Amino acid sequence: MSSSIGRDRVSVAVCLKWVTPVGRDDDRFAGVSAADQAALESALMWAERTGADVTVVTVGPVGAERALRDALACGATRAIRIDADPSAPSSDVARVVAPHVASASMVWCGDYSLDRGSGSFPAFLADTLGIDQALGLVDVDLSDPERIRAVRRLDGGRREVLSITARAVVSVEGSVARLRRAPLRALLATNDAAISVHAAALIGEETALVPFRPRARVLPAPVGSSALDRVRTLTDAGGTPSRSETVELSPDAAADRILAALREWGYLA
Amino acid sequence: MSADARFDADVIVVGAGPAGSCAAIELARAGRRVILVERGPFPGSKNMYGGVVYPRILDELIPSWWETAPVQRWVVRRSTMILSESNALTIDYRNPAWAEPPHNGATAYRPDFDNWLAQHAVEAGAVLVTSTTVTGLLRDAAGRVSGVRTDRPDGDLRAPVVIACDGVNSFLAKEAGLYPHTDPANFTLGVKETLALPKHVIDERFNVRDDQGVDIEILGGTSGVNGGGFVYTNLDTVSLGVVLKLPKLAAQKKRPEEIIAGLKSHPAIAPLVEGAEVKEYSAHVIPEAGLSMMPTMVADGLLVAGDAAALCLAAGIWLEGVNFALASGMYAGQAAHEALTRHDVSAKSLKAYTERLNATFVLSDHKKLRKVPGLVLSDRVQQKYPGFVTGVVERVFRVDNPNPKPGLRRIVREERKRAGIGLRDLLKDGWTGMRGFG
Amino acid sequence: MNAQVGLIAVVPVRDGAIPAGGLEALAESRGHGVLVGTDLEAAVVDTRGVTSRLILAPTTSCAPRVLAEAAAAALSAHAPHVAVVIPASPDGRDLAPLLARRLDRALYAGATEVAEHRVRTARQGGLAIAQFDVHRPFVATLQPGVRGVDQHFTDDPEIVRIDPSNSMPSAVTTDEVLPPDVSTMDLAEAPRIVGGGAGLDGAERFAKLAEVSKALDASMGVTRVITDRGWVSHERQIGTTGVVVDPRLYVSFGISGAVQHTSGLGQPDHIISVNTDAHCPMMQMSDLAIVADANDVLEALATKLSIETERGVA
Ligand SMILES: Cc1cc2nc3c(=O)[nH]c(=O)nc-3n(C[C@H](O)[C@H](O)[C@H](O)COP(=O)(O)OP(=O)(O)OC[C@H]3O[C@@H](n4cnc5c(N)ncnc54)[C@H](O)[C@@H]3O)c2cc1C
Ligand SMILES: Cc1cc2nc3c(=O)[nH]c(=O)nc-3n(C[C@H](O)[C@H](O)[C@H](O)COP(=O)(O)OP(=O)(O)OC[C@H]3O[C@@H](n4cnc5c(N)ncnc54)[C@H](O)[C@@H]3O)c2cc1C
Ligand SMILES: Nc1ncnc2c1ncn2[C@@H]1O[C@H](COP(=O)(O)O)[C@@H](O)[C@H]1O
Repeated sequence: MSSSIGRDRVSVAVCLKWVTPVGRDDDRFAGVSAADQAALESALMWAERTGADVTVVTVGPVGAERALRDALACGATRAIRIDADPSAPSSDVARVVAPHVASASMVWCGDYSLDRGSGSFPAFLADTLGIDQALGLVDVDLSDPERIRAVRRLDGGRREVLSITARAVVSVEGSVARLRRAPLRALLATNDAAISVHAAALIGEETALVPFRPRARVLPAPVGSSALDRVRTLTDAGGTPSRSETVELSPDAAADRILAALREWGYLA
Repeated sequence: MSADARFDADVIVVGAGPAGSCAAIELARAGRRVILVERGPFPGSKNMYGGVVYPRILDELIPSWWETAPVQRWVVRRSTMILSESNALTIDYRNPAWAEPPHNGATAYRPDFDNWLAQHAVEAGAVLVTSTTVTGLLRDAAGRVSGVRTDRPDGDLRAPVVIACDGVNSFLAKEAGLYPHTDPANFTLGVKETLALPKHVIDERFNVRDDQGVDIEILGGTSGVNGGGFVYTNLDTVSLGVVLKLPKLAAQKKRPEEIIAGLKSHPAIAPLVEGAEVKEYSAHVIPEAGLSMMPTMVADGLLVAGDAAALCLAAGIWLEGVNFALASGMYAGQAAHEALTRHDVSAKSLKAYTERLNATFVLSDHKKLRKVPGLVLSDRVQQKYPGFVTGVVERVFRVDNPNPKPGLRRIVREERKRAGIGLRDLLKDGWTGMRGFG
Repeated sequence: MNAQVGLIAVVPVRDGAIPAGGLEALAESRGHGVLVGTDLEAAVVDTRGVTSRLILAPTTSCAPRVLAEAAAAALSAHAPHVAVVIPASPDGRDLAPLLARRLDRALYAGATEVAEHRVRTARQGGLAIAQFDVHRPFVATLQPGVRGVDQHFTDDPEIVRIDPSNSMPSAVTTDEVLPPDVSTMDLAEAPRIVGGGAGLDGAERFAKLAEVSKALDASMGVTRVITDRGWVSHERQIGTTGVVVDPRLYVSFGISGAVQHTSGLGQPDHIISVNTDAHCPMMQMSDLAIVADANDVLEALATKLSIETERGVA
């Protein structure tokens, strides 16, 4: 535990993004994502073990202060709102956040924000701060606060087990931790808690949106696999697919038929 | 007060519905420290009702309220429809003056209206705490109510007065022992669909324009379950719902969604909502029995207002609750303030609240109409009268040449017999109705 | 082809494995790419038919900063001023912002389509598309599964090899890499999926469905009707507003096959469907379409599979 005070005190930062749900342009329905909440809870738990101060930071409109107040009521020490347009490119958003979290030994983020959701802000932030990153964590073990053990999602269902020491930017998925409920008395106290507000100039991105249409996928090359049959059946206008079969069966017979097909196609031994 | 340190506030108001917010506004304006506790993420977020408010009672509290209130449409047409299997008799009243201040009724969404009202409380200085559910009452050594317990950690709040505005089936009033008994027959179930239609389509179908709206109350059309229905116009949605007597609903084993579907397909209703997309489906219980089910409304350190005190008027052609909630909340706030000034928050001192309810429309409307809910929801009115009334009208308007027109008296007699209504019952109901509505 | 093409793929390779969407990124750049990471020679083999020209930038670790430095060096030397497409796999998403910074370029994350001067990205949770017309080199990440892979090249790719770069000290170190586990796997990467829709009549059916999926070594997916009911969480929803998947095997129980669902389904080699309606689109596109009550079949299948696993253990 660190008992030092002032500038040398260990500190940890959490980045929270205030998001208004799509199609409901209304602050009443806004909030922070489960991932950001998990980041806050992880940071609070880490701080409890290390005695660190917790600074919460958001780039966004004044409505976002609700999230900061809730975080303070949950135990965060300090809240900063950067008054700027959060729809600016993540790289620029990260640049305005960096000076405010520069002394933090750990910066916790959510893996994706709910609206634009690129998951790129944490990496840009790490790069601006010149420190390492561990992103997209699905499991975090804080029992040794000096050396966090974490599991990160890779593709193909693989997982990477990491050791994380200070200083780093980490981002977590929503399932990592469930945010505690703020004690009522703390909540009442934060109603007039000081939030430091800084102005920054960011230029939001404006893009024309068109309704989503899935992109036509290219067909895999015919290499004699069963895919070939599919190409044939797809191009076989009007005709029934050659391999396709419709049967009416009792539940028991249906289950047997499914298992037989899976064996035939090599999915089951 | 030297006792202040023991308390987190002068008054804790539970529930930021219309009743709770009005109580909080009164108190905060009087300089009292008020905490307004609401279980939803914001005031009104989970609240539902039919759709029409009568906010004239706000004239004093929020002068020119119509300029800022989040209103969908101003009601300029009120219709009462009597539906039999496939016929309909509509009595329609239109008053364009209601589109102008100070207005009469308005359609509004509760998440908008309740939130707007609560913001007035916040502006007046009340502290609003959301996403927090009150789970019980705190009492002092003498057994007086002295605060509430909530579901948050470190969640007890102490105050000399608590005002329970927690809605129908008030858990707080019950916990305080103010409801002698609860009979399911005292409640109706309200279910409602919000149906989306383009504004111009609504304007055309309901024969209105701009921000003018329509309020239709319906008798019959509820698939044989005792109750009634309503259709209200919002800007680009229509609220359509039914109010159903609970024991009947259970006995007939009908699902409320089937009954709504039945109403929607009635020939008099179907063209109004054709092609609309269901945006929302919601259900809520209504305290319907009026005066006969009202609890004791004060206890030491405790006041009960709005639906929590069953101050809801559900009487056939009226379905009003919000205005009663607004008024009772206001009066509860005033009474609490006065009692605090007297340094006496005993039930006796808080009694001024009930006196004010008695002296105003809140209870006089209920007294006047006390027999009406029973009458309107009675089996005879529900099962036999719609067929009888539409039958009479059908024969009055039917031209059956070469036969001459029959006399009205004969039609009434024949239709009454056909519907199986005894003359004595008809006269009795008529008398109750005259006195009740008069 | 020469170094002046407009688009190049950068594919992070971990121990010789091409990541999800890696081949699609290479196909998007018409076979022109940089492989960066560890054990690249093994990965080259897997790109055959899709690649024409490859730059290999080997590293000694897969730490994001190491990959970014190596990729930036390779691009600066061999393909400056060329727009970059990276698969939006976990390693790709980690790498892309760092690379964009090193090249001083804009990043377009989560694209559905990338061309030399045009990027399309999904917005509003997949309900809309934003289109960017770009006239300066950029970095984009391509969503795996949206494109598919076509093969144009019969010859082995032309290969440029760069000297291995050194690792650097890091606050984050890899202790081990765990093998796939179907129950935690991202749907998008699952090779086998068992899907359930409104034909399954209760929340508890989906516990059963998960059980059956696991026994078949498959991941569970559902339709929006099911996530709307709150029976299964949103990350299991297949379709335009859910996850775009690309399994080899798809087994559906009580799914009608609405276009919003099937357009996120990829192109499975095999589809089995159980539905009471023989004529719904899902049944129409199945290899094996069984007309039966999905709830009962699911129960029967669960019973049989648990018997089989018990026997297997014994
Ligand atoms: C189907 C239907 C149609 C109706 N139509 C109309 C109509 O058209 N016009 C009309 O005037 N009236 C109508 N009413 C009646 C009207 O809705 C009510 O009378 C009115 O809402 C009462 O207001 P209230 O403030 O007393 O209670 P509510 O509006 O019920 O507010 C209670 C508040 O307390 C909160 N709360 C409850 N318990 C707790 C707790 N333990 N802790 C913290 N907070 C709590 C709730 O979240 C809520 O915000 C209708 C009712 C129904 C059901
Ligand atoms: C903008 C938009 C985006 C959308 N995005 C998505 C998306 O991302 N993903 C998605 O899935 N949907 C999406 N949808 C919804 C989509 O249009 C369909 O409504 C949905 O996919 C249908 O789900 P379902 O097949 O489970 O249900 P249904 O269409 O209701 O089909 C149920 C099927 O079960 C069969 N069935 C019924 N009972 C039984 C039984 N006992 N045994 C066997 N079979 C039975 C029926 O014959 C029917 O075929 C979107 C819709 C919109 C408008
Ligand atoms: N405007 C912002 N303010 C604070 N934190 C942000 C902001 N934008 C993104 N973040 C953080 O970065 C994470 C990933 O966001 P994104 O890169 O936008 O998907 C979020 O979960 C937040 O923790």
